[in-house]
Amino acid sequence: MTSWIAFLQEVLLYGPQILQGLGNTLLLAVIITFNGLVGGILVFYLTLSPRSVVRRLTDGYISFFIGTPLIVLLFLMYYGLPQWGLPLSPLTVAVLGFTLNVAAYNARYLRTAYNGLDQQELEAARAQGFSGLEVFRYITLPQTLRLSVPALTNQAILNLKDSSVAFLIQYTEFFAEVQELATRTFQYFKAYLLAGLVYLLLVSIIVLAARRLEKAILRPMH
Amino acid sequence: MNFWQILAQLATGAGYTILVTVACIATGLVTGLLVALLTRLRLRALDRLLATYTYVFRGVPVLVLLFLVYFGLPGLGLNVPPLVAMMLSLGLIAGAYLAEVFRGAFASVDPDEIMAAEAMGMSRRQILLAIELPQMLRFAVPGMLNEFTTVLKYSPFAYTVGLPEIMKQAMALAATTLRGLEIYLAIGVLYFGIYKLMLFLVRAIERRYAVPGFIRL
Amino acid sequence: MALLEVRKLVKAFDGKAVLDGVDLDLEEGQVKVIMGPSGCGKSTLLRCINRLTEPTSGQVIFRGEDVTRPDTDVRALRQRIGFVFQNFALYRHLSALDNIKLGLRKLRAMSEQEATSRAEHELRRMMMQDHGAKYPAQLSGGQKQRVAIARALAMDPAVLFFDEPTSALDPHMSREVVALINQLYLDNVTMLCVTHDVFLARHISDRVLFLDHGCVRAEGDADHLLEDHEDPHIRAFFGRETQGQ
Repeated sequence: MTSWIAFLQEVLLYGPQILQGLGNTLLLAVIITFNGLVGGILVFYLTLSPRSVVRRLTDGYISFFIGTPLIVLLFLMYYGLPQWGLPLSPLTVAVLGFTLNVAAYNARYLRTAYNGLDQQELEAARAQGFSGLEVFRYITLPQTLRLSVPALTNQAILNLKDSSVAFLIQYTEFFAEVQELATRTFQYFKAYLLAGLVYLLLVSIIVLAARRLEKAILRPMH
Repeated sequence: MNFWQILAQLATGAGYTILVTVACIATGLVTGLLVALLTRLRLRALDRLLATYTYVFRGVPVLVLLFLVYFGLPGLGLNVPPLVAMMLSLGLIAGAYLAEVFRGAFASVDPDEIMAAEAMGMSRRQILLAIELPQMLRFAVPGMLNEFTTVLKYSPFAYTVGLPEIMKQAMALAATTLRGLEIYLAIGVLYFGIYKLMLFLVRAIERRYAVPGFIRL
Repeated sequence: MALLEVRKLVKAFDGKAVLDGVDLDLEEGQVKVIMGPSGCGKSTLLRCINRLTEPTSGQVIFRGEDVTRPDTDVRALRQRIGFVFQNFALYRHLSALDNIKLGLRKLRAMSEQEATSRAEHELRRMMMQDHGAKYPAQLSGGQKQRVAIARALAMDPAVLFFDEPTSALDPHMSREVVALINQLYLDNVTMLCVTHDVFLARHISDRVLFLDHGCVRAEGDADHLLEDHEDPHIRAFFGRETQGQ
């Protein structure tokens, strides 16, 4: 018990840095969730292309990024690109890598939702004289987005948790600071337990928010 | 260091990557199945505990749990070997996700067929093993495949606890050859190949046990 | 002694009586039909007898033994009652043959060989011998029903329960069910059938029992009950049902 109190005193002492790390974690999570959504919509649009070359390339993109670990992509950019005289900051690498990866996942969720749509509605819209882009914007996208809310919010949770990977490319986010705390105090177990609890708390907040969002959005459709 | 030496080193890494992935998938399958079966049997006393397990293990990042197990537990006098640490972190997290996959798949089993089995005089255990489990596993294939893929994609974390898998080999090779770009690009393709292999194997097993009337979700 | 005697059976859901004191007798070799409007408790009655649903009070006496007592071996009871469900409830992951074999293997502990030959025999009896390897999704409604009957008969039940055997079939197939049940009657199979299909009732049984609001309103031979009963309520029901055909 006394060791816990001593540990918490250390945490307080180290508080400002940990909070800053937490801020960096949230910053990264928010950016990649937003970018991933925009990118996902773009990639999803390309999967609907009338040109088979575009469709095949897009499917290849989705498949490749779902099949390879994100950390390889991050290492490739962070440790590999300077070789070509292209040194990038950890944040830039993280944002780029995550965006490419998350966009692939989101595009797949949207595509799955699209496959479950009533094709007659889309035909009706085309018959009314809407252009392809207009059908996508006013009919296809709103419907698939609504159906994908559970999958997309789940991805947001994964984004928050996975942002901890960025510490492996020297991005000073929350887990990196906890790591620092652990090595300074030699209290590894307590430090990592604290980190786990903080992530669990943040995830719980997203889960609660997502539930309210789902209720608000899904009600009119059923 | 010549091309063949690099290739040999990556092949060794691939072996370890497959070992880690298979060990974690096995851990996940065993715990996920156990949790889903116990949840299905509605044992009141365990319900809260099982729900807590799935919630907690889906809410904590793999890396955090891995560090807690590998670097944290020795402080409590528990030394955990690297592979076991991977199984206790990534494996148990996969188990929590798989438990949810199985729970959903159990819900897809037609209640009328369960009633028919009850009307026949079969016991709860017989129904679970002969009717619900074989159907549930077929419904669960897409969800299982997703989770297996996730395990493969998190397997590089094993380098942080010193397992000589692909990522670790790549880092060593990048340091000696100073050709990080090519090396990391190559292992990206290597991981993609392992992913495709896994996809092929799961599909083959699925085909082997295919029964008309089960729709791929 | 009757094969089955039901005495003052009551089943209440949330204080509302679905069965409100039902009496019923079924003799060996007899085919009895229970009719009544939907929601009258017909299906609940069948489910109470084999205790898929627990009756609130009353007695079910099966071959002289009260099977509503708490120490009754419910699974042994169910093994002696064959149940053919409305939607047939075939196990979709098993072929027709394996559907029939499952009970023989797991409940009768038969050898693989013994179970297979018994299951093949039952399929032949239902003229389904060419469809044993097919899965439920590959069978028509009528074929599924035959497999469901074969599955029940394989267990050598003392009685066969049918829950609305024609409701999931097209009119043509419904006629075939009549022939099928009559064939079983000639084989001396005791049957209890719940239906709202007047055609079926008239052609498979002499004894019809009319259930309404959880009570037996009338019991008698089919012609009397279906044609010119003195109770205006019953006349109204069958009038509507016949018009509906």
